Amino acid sequence: MKKWEPLAWVGPAVLLIAAVVIWPVVEMIRSSFLEISRFGVVRGSAGTANYVKLFGERVFGDVMVRSVIWVVAVVALTVLISLALAQLFNQKFPGRKVARWALIAPWAASVLMTAIVFRWMLDPEVGIINVIRWDLGTFVQNTFGIEPSSLGLLSAMGGEAADQLGHASTSFPWLIFVAVFVSVPFTTYALLAGLATIPADVYEAARMDGAGKFRTYWSITLPLLRPALTVAALINVMNVFNSFPIIWAMTKGGPEYDTTTTTIFMYILKGANIGESAAMSVVNFGMVIVLTLIFLRVSRWKQEVA
Amino acid sequence: MATQTAPAPVRHRHVSTHRRRSRGMPRLKTTVIAAAAYLIGFFFLFPYLVMILISLRPQTELRSAVWFPERFDFSAITGFWSTGLAHNLTVSLQVAAGSTILVLLVALPAAYYTARHNFRGRNLFLVLVLVTQMFQPTAMVVGIYREFFTFGMVDSVISLILVNGGFNLAFAVWILNAYFSSIPRELEEAAFIDGNGRFGALFRVTLPLAMPGVITALIFTFIAAWNEFVVALTLATSPENQPLPVALQSYMGQYSVNWQELFAGSVIATIPVIILFALIERKVVGGLTAGSIK
Amino acid sequence: MDHPPDEKAVQTVNKKFVGGAVLAVATMLTLASCGSGSSTGTQGGGETKAAEGGQVTLKMVAADYGDGPGAANSGEGFWKSVVDEFQKANPNIKVEVQVINWNDIDKQVATMVQNGQPPDILQTGDYSGFVKDGLLHKVEEIVSPNVQQDLLTKFADFGKVDGTSYGLPFVSSARALFYNKELFEKAGITEAPKTWDELKAAAEKLKASGVSQPFGLPLGQEEAQGESFLWMLGNGGGYKDASGKWAINSAQNVETFQYIKGLVDAGLTTPNPGTKDRKTVWEDFAAGKVGMANGGPMSIPIFDKGAVKDKYGVVAIPGKTGPLDTTLGVMDWIMAFNKNNHGEEIKKFFDFFYTGPAAEKIVDLYKLLPVTNGGIQKLSGDEKLKPFLDALPNASFYPFQDPKWSDVNTQIKQTIGGAVSGDPAAVLGELQKVAEAG
Repeated sequence: MKKWEPLAWVGPAVLLIAAVVIWPVVEMIRSSFLEISRFGVVRGSAGTANYVKLFGERVFGDVMVRSVIWVVAVVALTVLISLALAQLFNQKFPGRKVARWALIAPWAASVLMTAIVFRWMLDPEVGIINVIRWDLGTFVQNTFGIEPSSLGLLSAMGGEAADQLGHASTSFPWLIFVAVFVSVPFTTYALLAGLATIPADVYEAARMDGAGKFRTYWSITLPLLRPALTVAALINVMNVFNSFPIIWAMTKGGPEYDTTTTTIFMYILKGANIGESAAMSVVNFGMVIVLTLIFLRVSRWKQEVA
Repeated sequence: MATQTAPAPVRHRHVSTHRRRSRGMPRLKTTVIAAAAYLIGFFFLFPYLVMILISLRPQTELRSAVWFPERFDFSAITGFWSTGLAHNLTVSLQVAAGSTILVLLVALPAAYYTARHNFRGRNLFLVLVLVTQMFQPTAMVVGIYREFFTFGMVDSVISLILVNGGFNLAFAVWILNAYFSSIPRELEEAAFIDGNGRFGALFRVTLPLAMPGVITALIFTFIAAWNEFVVALTLATSPENQPLPVALQSYMGQYSVNWQELFAGSVIATIPVIILFALIERKVVGGLTAGSIK
Repeated sequence: MDHPPDEKAVQTVNKKFVGGAVLAVATMLTLASCGSGSSTGTQGGGETKAAEGGQVTLKMVAADYGDGPGAANSGEGFWKSVVDEFQKANPNIKVEVQVINWNDIDKQVATMVQNGQPPDILQTGDYSGFVKDGLLHKVEEIVSPNVQQDLLTKFADFGKVDGTSYGLPFVSSARALFYNKELFEKAGITEAPKTWDELKAAAEKLKASGVSQPFGLPLGQEEAQGESFLWMLGNGGGYKDASGKWAINSAQNVETFQYIKGLVDAGLTTPNPGTKDRKTVWEDFAAGKVGMANGGPMSIPIFDKGAVKDKYGVVAIPGKTGPLDTTLGVMDWIMAFNKNNHGEEIKKFFDFFYTGPAAEKIVDLYKLLPVTNGGIQKLSGDEKLKPFLDALPNASFYPFQDPKWSDVNTQIKQTIGGAVSGDPAAVLGELQKVAEAG
């Protein structure tokens, strides 16, 4: 009886994970070795042909590199900004509660819709961000006689200068911005939670010792915050890697393949070759796992989380 | 200084803050901090305010480069309820609530047991949880579809509940496990000795203490399931089984997009989550601490 | 750090426990409602199988030509009226129509077919991908001979693969050049351009008069293959040459894209055309921000809703040396899957559709063009549609019948924008390689 006790408690969880998560993974790996028509009819085994085709794609290397840059940039920026915001929102000031609620919005709203509204705001003809650049541009032109374009502002709507999603060099930073924008709220909340656990007497003691503000932050707050930081960053790594809707809604991976990451590439391939697309997912998994392991290694998570 | 929210010892905090306050320029500092915080709050709300503004623009002013339309048109918002999308809103609610409940029912016992007992396969289980945390349904829609097709469960609300439940289970187990581990065994033992029985002790003492963790798991699953898009797009093929985010896609026609309706629907879809979140915000901050308590 | 928040929390245990109880009740309520939700789902699945008892259910998937559910012209509304009338005449046949928007229909149908559950009838933009797997009925199995003979020959021919018809043309469309008369007047242009030189001159004048997009050029994922083809036709090019061989990187096509690239570089088009979709360009044209753009009959209602209402003209598309005598003929297809052996019932439905008022209604409602000789005759009085109807008989088409087309099409949509930002010959060469591969 005793022997089967764990099964009663843990069994359902294992069952659910196996059925909903593991099974599709196996299915996916299997498909990556099959030849499948565009409409999904299995035409037989493909051996490793799907992988050979995938690795032979002209843009494959770029896509992989871009994905890593994407993950690292988004997570690093998210964590840095969230650290600052958590510090700010941890201060006592009137209306703090309401200000914190405002922070919830990007977390509560659908990522897809957030991305769509950002694309709208960046529209070269009517986007509000460009309207602001235009208004400011008119202002500096009229007041100081400065050419608006020299300050990155606009002298007219609708032109090349207003079209920031048209080039990878400007659109990729915007994609990163939106990804950071939607990740910051959760991360900030996690860090706020971490800050709340740091007892005030620790600070009191540091103050007695005559430690300065930044020193206190560096040698007391940060180390105590590390567990919360690790959890938050880890979850970000795993989410961001797959934050498909942002890129899909804003650039569809274009122009050409210039803002395509692994997940987007997988979707583009799915339209033409399902087997190759499955191979891309498998490679994608491998990459997530490797990146996560590296991250865990670096952060020595076992001490904190396990 | 999250006073009431902080589960941590708080004994001397008030005294010290007050003392520090009284020594010089507290007013100015607070004002600057408040102003910065409001500004940042506004920054994070901004895209959603834009969303509301677009939903209120009349069709003819949709492509005007202006801040505000000359005339506000509320028909997209008032018209929402007559489009049948109200039904998709209830589907969303069913999926989100259903997967949240499923996750709690399955994760609670597992997390509790792993936190309290050492059994064969415990580490294997924890690794499994960690690994599944890395998998996102977006990347595996084809596999998911094939599986649910095999069982004849495509295009049903229940399959969406299962998928969302399955993929959010890992995080819940993780948070709850950390939380249960942080509650001293002695408290539970004491209640047990008081004659409450094993389960009595669990329900009267341990579970209530773990409530912040439970609420965190709850809100995470709820938000994730509420906003999940790619799997729902693939699995829910008929309009009556589509959650709102998927149903909204049909506003993107072949030749034109009904921007006003699309954004009005998105705003309406977001409001319930914000309300839910605002109601239990304090608990969420408490619950997220779990990982760092140890 | 070492101790959890015990004392404080214990004091509030009672309060929290009440909260827990409320949660538990809510849990049960929601569970109950979920249960009922899923059971209706299973019933729906059972219905299709119970088709044997005299009544046959045809499952149909159709694309939405309207503005989405709830819109006055929604696909659901259109098909409901057709099906209601059909079922009145054929009480033994039930038609269940699922309308899917264009963004998702291919993906969703692909998943249905992938899992061996294709609909009986599919109405969408392409049929050829299904032929190779032997999934479709032949056309003569699903329509009467008189209907088949009334179809425009040039259109019907494209429904054939290796001499056998599988796809039925459903509706067609053609393209022409729309121009904003008001902007033209302001820029001092008296006549719509007929040649590429005139087009460039007009665009320059428009630009000088402050128009941000003199020529609206959507080469983004949505419809790049259409816009590109129109330009190729202007220089005697196309996706294939006269002998039917792929010729995407032919000398004419390279020259064409060099010309477009010139326009783009001079700022005479939509900026970064490779990232712009047709919908956006049309929205901008409707708002009076675009001087000229290629469009179809379906753009008329969109433009009429905007600021350009009554201020635009329609002419034949300018080519290198003169206006095109052909146009891009686009047609959508309807087809029948053979999996459920419902050929007889499908024939009744298709005959009803092509001979009855339904085919006319779709032309009226969505500004699409007919695919039958009879249909064209009925419309000949319509002034606005004249430029399109004139060009229709001599239309040029995508190489739909080539099984390679779907691969090539995917690749064109993703990359052809690069031909006007980078090296045209290189980009077209890559596409040619895709077309010739395997």
